[in-house]
Amino acid sequence: MDPVSTLPVLLGLAWLVPLASFTLIVLFGPRMGKAGIGAGYLATGAILTSAILSSFSLFFVWIPAYDMPEPSHPVAADSAHGGAHEAEVHDEAAHKEEHGDDDHGEQHAESSHGEHDGGHAHFDKPEIAGEWYTLGKFGSLRITIGYYIDSLTVMMFAMVTFIATCIHFYAIGYMHDELHDYVDHEVTLEDGQHLHRPGRFHRFFQYLSLFCFSMLGLVIAGNIAMVFVFWELVGICSYFLIGFYIERKSASNAANKAFIVNRVGDFGMIIGLMVIFATLGTFAFGDVDADGDGTPEPGIFSQVRSPENDYALVVPDGVIKAAAASEIAKGVEATPEQIQSWREDMEPGGVGRWAYWLMIIAGVGIFCGCVGKSAQFPLHVWLPDAMEGPTPVSALVHSATMVAAGVYLVGRFFPFFVPEVLLVIAIIGCITLFVAATIAITAVDIKRVLAYSTVSQLGYMMLALGVGGWSAGVFHLMTHAFFKSLLFMCSGSVIHAVHTNDMTHMGGLRKKMPWTAYTMLVGCLAIMGAGVPFTIGLSGHYSKDAILAQAMSFEAANPMLGWLFYVAAAGAAITAFYMFRLWFLTCAGEPRDKHRYDHAHESPKVMYVPLVILAVMAVIVGWSIYGTPVGIQKLLEQARPMGILTTAHGALLTDLVHPDEHLSHLEEFHVASTWYATLTGLAGLGLAIVFYGVRVLNPAEVANQFKRVYKFLVNKWYFDELYNVIFVKPVLLVSSRVADFDKKVIDGLIDTLAIGTRMIARLDDMIDRYFVDGLINAFAGWTYAVALWFRGAETGRLRQYVMFIVLGTVVLFILITFYLSAPLAPSLSTLEGRP
Amino acid sequence: MSLYDLMHSLTADSMRSVGGFEGELVLCATIVLILLLRIPRLTSRIDSFYVMLVGSAVALYMAGPWHPVEQPSQLFTGLLINDTFTVYFRTLLLFFAVLFAIFTRISGVPDRDAAPDVYALVLGATLGMCIMASANNALMIFLGVEMASVPSYALAGLLKGRRQSSEAAIKYAVYGAGTAGIMLYGISLLCGVLGSAHIPTMGVRLAELLQPANLEAGVGLDTHMVLALGGLMVMVGLAFKLSAVPFHFWCPDVFEGASAEVNAFLSVASKAAALALLARVAIGFGYIAPPIETQAEEQVALFNVADEPAQQPETKEQEAKPPAEEEEVLLVEEPSGSAAAFSPLADRAEQIAALAPARDYLAWVLAFMAMITCTFGNLAAYGQTNIKRLLAYSTIAQAGYMMMPVPAAMVLAGSNPAAAQGAIQAMVFYAGAYLFMNLGAFAIVAFLRNVLLSEEIEDYAGLIRRAPITVICFSLILVSLIGIPPLAGFVGKFQIFSALVQAKLWIVLLVAGLNTAISLYYYLRVVKTMTIDPEPETRRPVSMSFIPGTYVVLVSVPLLILGIWPESLNALARMATGQLF
Repeated sequence: MDPVSTLPVLLGLAWLVPLASFTLIVLFGPRMGKAGIGAGYLATGAILTSAILSSFSLFFVWIPAYDMPEPSHPVAADSAHGGAHEAEVHDEAAHKEEHGDDDHGEQHAESSHGEHDGGHAHFDKPEIAGEWYTLGKFGSLRITIGYYIDSLTVMMFAMVTFIATCIHFYAIGYMHDELHDYVDHEVTLEDGQHLHRPGRFHRFFQYLSLFCFSMLGLVIAGNIAMVFVFWELVGICSYFLIGFYIERKSASNAANKAFIVNRVGDFGMIIGLMVIFATLGTFAFGDVDADGDGTPEPGIFSQVRSPENDYALVVPDGVIKAAAASEIAKGVEATPEQIQSWREDMEPGGVGRWAYWLMIIAGVGIFCGCVGKSAQFPLHVWLPDAMEGPTPVSALVHSATMVAAGVYLVGRFFPFFVPEVLLVIAIIGCITLFVAATIAITAVDIKRVLAYSTVSQLGYMMLALGVGGWSAGVFHLMTHAFFKSLLFMCSGSVIHAVHTNDMTHMGGLRKKMPWTAYTMLVGCLAIMGAGVPFTIGLSGHYSKDAILAQAMSFEAANPMLGWLFYVAAAGAAITAFYMFRLWFLTCAGEPRDKHRYDHAHESPKVMYVPLVILAVMAVIVGWSIYGTPVGIQKLLEQARPMGILTTAHGALLTDLVHPDEHLSHLEEFHVASTWYATLTGLAGLGLAIVFYGVRVLNPAEVANQFKRVYKFLVNKWYFDELYNVIFVKPVLLVSSRVADFDKKVIDGLIDTLAIGTRMIARLDDMIDRYFVDGLINAFAGWTYAVALWFRGAETGRLRQYVMFIVLGTVVLFILITFYLSAPLAPSLSTLEGRP
Repeated sequence: MSLYDLMHSLTADSMRSVGGFEGELVLCATIVLILLLRIPRLTSRIDSFYVMLVGSAVALYMAGPWHPVEQPSQLFTGLLINDTFTVYFRTLLLFFAVLFAIFTRISGVPDRDAAPDVYALVLGATLGMCIMASANNALMIFLGVEMASVPSYALAGLLKGRRQSSEAAIKYAVYGAGTAGIMLYGISLLCGVLGSAHIPTMGVRLAELLQPANLEAGVGLDTHMVLALGGLMVMVGLAFKLSAVPFHFWCPDVFEGASAEVNAFLSVASKAAALALLARVAIGFGYIAPPIETQAEEQVALFNVADEPAQQPETKEQEAKPPAEEEEVLLVEEPSGSAAAFSPLADRAEQIAALAPARDYLAWVLAFMAMITCTFGNLAAYGQTNIKRLLAYSTIAQAGYMMMPVPAAMVLAGSNPAAAQGAIQAMVFYAGAYLFMNLGAFAIVAFLRNVLLSEEIEDYAGLIRRAPITVICFSLILVSLIGIPPLAGFVGKFQIFSALVQAKLWIVLLVAGLNTAISLYYYLRVVKTMTIDPEPETRRPVSMSFIPGTYVVLVSVPLLILGIWPESLNALARMATGQLF
C-alpha cells in the first residue's frame, strides 16, 4: 500500500473515531444502556478501532514501505573524544552481507570528509506532510489542520491507542461504582451526611474519548499552531478528569492548580510561537505545497536545517532578517550575500548574535510549554496533586500520554533547538529527576510515589534529549509509557481492593491479589531497568542504558557539566529504591491493617487482564520483532530528524559540545554506562530489601536520624509552601485590595450614577406616560375609529358598489384635473429632477 | 401587398409565434381534454385532478425559465410579447396552478363532481392571466382581463348551496362588468387618439405627441385631457383586478363568500397577473423599450394596418401647427421598419425624454392609488373577526405595497433605467414571495376549516397546543406578510422600500412605513389568538393530519429559505426584468 495516500486516511480515521464517540456520548450519554454503561462500551470500542487502525498503519503500512536506516559507523571525528575507537555496531555482519565492500568503504570515506556527517548522510528520513483543511487565512498566516507523519508519529499512535485501549477496558471495571448512585465518603455535607449523587459513568468515558482525540491530534499535528490547539485541549481534558470528583475540595483545587500552572508554561510557549511565526512566517513542520504551485513551501524544519546546508543547523534567513530589521529599515538590501555577512556577525551586538538569541528565545519558549505539560522543575508541583483524579486517568493522562506530550514536543522540535537551548533542557531535566526521585522516597501515598516517579522519569527523558540523545529520550518515553501505566493500574487495583491510598495500611497483598502483585513486580523491574548486561533485559533496561550512555558521552565532551551524568546515575539508584519500597510496602511482608487486608480481593478480570497484557508489553517493547531487526530503536533511527546526528557546538557558549548520539555506542561509554545502570539499580534494590524486605534496618529510625533531611523530603522540598509565599499570597493580597477598591470606590461611583439615572428615568417616565403615551393613544384611537368607519363603507349592497365605481372614477378624475390644470408642460418634469 | 403575400406572412408569423406560446397551448389542450373526458361514460370516471395536474405541470415545463429567451419576440403580429418578463410570470402562474391543484386535492374542495368544472375554469382563468402577463396590444389587455375575470366570477360561486357564495359571485360579476366597461372605454379613447392598439407603437406616438417642441407650441393640448381620461379609465380596470382602492369593494365580500381555495387563486394568481399587466402598461406608455433587433420586419409592417389612421393625428397637428414648425415635424417620413421608425424623434433617448409628462402622470396616479390602497386595506383589516375577510383586506394592503415600485420605476426610468429595472425587480420578487405567503395562508385556512368547521378568528384560540406545526407555519406566514426578517416578505419589502428611496418618493415611503407598523397589529393579533389565548372549552378535538401538515410546511418553508438566501429568486427576478429597460 502506498503510505503517502493511505496513512493520512488511516491515522486521520484513528484520530477522529474518539471524537465521534465523544460527540455521541455528549448527546446521548445518559441514555446509553443502563445508567450509561453503553457509553463505556462505545468509548472502548472507539479507541479499540483507533488502536487497530494505528497498529495496522504501523505494522502493515509503514514498516513494509520504508527501509530501515543502515547501521551506523560512528566515527569519533571530534577531537574532544580523543582517539577513535573500534565502532561497535550491533548488526555489522548483516550490514556487510547487504552491502558490498565498496559501498562500505565509500561511506567511511564520506564520513571522514565532513564534520557534519554522522554516517547517515545517505539516509533520507521518510516523512509525509500535508494538509487536510484550511481553517483560515489572515495575510500570510495560515491556520490549517495538517499532518506530519513519520515513524515517530506512527509509533506514538500505536502506543497511545494501545495503552488507552487497555485503560478503557480497565476503567469499565474500575468505574463501576459510578453506574449507580454514588456515595462520596470523602465529601461531608453541612448536615454531616456524605454526599449522594447520581453516577457519572458516561461522563468519565466522554472525557476519556475527548482526551484520546486531543492526544492523537497533538501527535499527528502538521504545524505548531495545531499542536498548540490540541495541547490546550489535552490540558482541558486533564482539568476535567482531575476534577472528576468535583465535590471534593482537594480535587477541584488540584484541577485548578494543574490548569493554572500549565498556563504559566503556555505563556512561554506562545512567546515561542510568536517568535517563530514572526521570523519564519510559517507554522508548518514539514514542507507542504499550500498554494498549489507544485513546489512545497519550506516548513520550519527545512528552514532551520535546509538540505542545501547538509541539514546542519543554520540560523534561517527569516530570523536574520528579523534581527536585522533596523538595518533593513535603513535601506540596506537584504541580498543573500548581505544575509550571509549578517549571519557571520557574531560579535557582541552583531546581527548574527541577536538572531541567534532569537533562536534561543523561541526554543526556550517552546520548551516552557513542555516544562508545564511534562511537569518539569519548577512547574512540577501540579502533577502529584493531579492524582486526585480516578486512577485510570492517572495511568493514561498523567503518566503515559499527556505528560509525555512535553517530551514528545521537545523531540519533535529537536531540529530547531540550538545547543544552548538543549543545555537548558538538560539542566532542567536533571534537576527534575533528582528532586522528584528524592521526594518519592518518603511519600506514603501510593499514587503520589508513582506521580513523583513519573516526574523523575520525565526528567530523565528531558535530560537525555538535552544532552543530545534524541533517540534515547524518545525511546524512554515509549518504554516508560508501558511500565508506568502498568504500575498505575496496579496501584489502582490495590486501591480498589483496600479502599485507601496510604501504603502504611497495606502489606502482604500478594497472597490476596497475585495477578496485581506480580504484574506490579514486573513494572518495578522494568522501571529499574533490570536485565542481564549485554544480553537481555526488560524494556527499561535498554532505554535507561541509552540515556546514561549519552549522558556519559556528554560528560566526556564537557567535563564541566559532568554532574549531569552523576546525578542521573544516582537517580537510577533512587528509582530502584523507591519502586521496591513501594512494592514491599504493598505486596510483601505482613498486613499492617488487618481489617482492610481481610476485605481485600483480586480485581475482576476486566481489570487484571489489561495488567497482564501491559506487563508483557513492559517486558518486550525494548526488543526487536522476532526474526527481524525492526524494533522501537530502529524505528526511532528512522524517525530521527535530518541533520541532528552530528556533533554540535554552541555558538555563544563555545565550549559546549553536543556529541553525536552514535558516539555513545562506543564501547568506552556503552559498556561503562551499562555497568553503571545495572549496579546503581542493584544498589537501590539492595537498599530497599535491607529496609523493607528483610527489615534489617528500621526506616523509622533512619528517618529519625536524618530528621531534617527527612522532613525536607516529606514536605516535598517546600515547593508548595514556597510558591504559596511568593506567588499565591501576594496575588491574594493584591486581589483583595483590588476587590476593596472595586467595592468602595468604583461601586460607589456606579451607585451614585445609578441613582442619578433613576431620577432621570422617573422624569422620562412621566413625560412618556402623560405626553407621548397620550399622543399615541390618541393616534391609535383615531386610527381605530377610522378603521371602523372604513369598515362601515363596506355595506354589501351591490347598487352602492356600482355607484362607488362611478364615484371613484369621477373623484379620481377630478383630483387629476387639479394635477393637469397646473401648468402642464416642462414644470412637470421637476418631479423627476431633470434639468 | 397581395392577399397571398398577406396570408403567407400571416401563416409564417403564426407558425413562428407558436414556439413562444406552447405553455398556453398546453393549457388550452388540457381544458379541452377535461371537458371532453366528461362526455363518454367510461372516461368520466377519470379523475380530472390528474389531468389538471399533468396538464399544468407539462405547461410549466414547456414555459419554464429553463428555455432561455435571448431576445424578446412579438407573437401573432405583435399581439403578444414573449420576453423574460412574460416567462417569469407565466412560470409563476403555472407553478401556482400545480400547487393549487395539489392544494384542492388535499382540502377536498371541489368535490369530485364539481372538479372538472372548477379545474376547467381555473385553467381558463390561468390562460387569461398568462395573456395578461404577455399582452402587447390594447385589445389583448382587455381580452386577457376578461378571460381571467369571467371564470373567476363562476369560481366565486362555487359553493352552490351557500347563499353568500352566490351573492358574492353576482357582486363580483356585476362589479367586474362595470369596471370592464370603463376600461374598454378608456382603451378606445387611447387607441383613437394614438391611432394604434399596438402598445409600443402607442408609446412612440405618445412620445411624438408630447415632445417638448409640441408642448411649447401648444400643439395637441386638446388631446391631453382625452389621453389622461383614457389612461385613468384603463387604470380603473387594472385597479379592479388588483383590488386597489377605490375599486376594491368586491374584494371582502367575494373573499368571505367564496371558498378559501378560490380565495387563494384569486389573491395569488389574479394579483400576480394584474401586477404584470400594470407594469407592462406603465412601461409601455412611459418608456420606449429597446428595439427588437432580430424581428422579421415584415410582421410589423403587416400588423401596421393601423398605419393609415396613424397619420391622422399627425396631419391634424400639421394643420394646427404654425408653418414655421413644419419642417421639424416633416422629418417623420421614414417609410417602414421597426416601431421606433414611426417617430419624428428618431433617437430613442429623445423619445424617452419626451415621455416624461406621461411618466409623471402615471407615477402620480399610481402612487396616489397605492398609498390609499395600502392605508385603507390595513386600517379596514383592524376590526375583522372572520379570517377570510381579514386576509381579503390584507391582500388589498399587499396590493398597495406591490404597486409602489411601479411609480418608483416611472420616476427613475428617464434618468436611470438600471434603477428603474431594480424597482420592477423588487415588485417581481415580491410577487414571487407573495405566492407562497398567500397560498400558505389560505391553505391553512382551508385545512383548519375542514377540521374546525369555522373561519372565525376566535375559534383559532390556543390552537398551538393542538396543531403546533400548523400554527408555527401560519405565524411564519403572517410575520412574513408584515415583513420582518429573516423571511421572504422582509426581503421583498426591503427591496420595494429601497426602490422608493432611490426614486426619492419620500411621501410614499413614509406612508408605506407607517402602514407596515399599522399592519403589525392585526397580523399579530391572529398569532396571539392562536398561541397565547386559552383554548375554548367547547371546541371539539382538533388534530391536523399528516398530509395537510406536510403541505403547509412545504409551502411555508420557502419563505424562510428565500428570506435567508434570497439570491435564487432575486436572480430570477433580475432575469425577468432584464429585457424591459
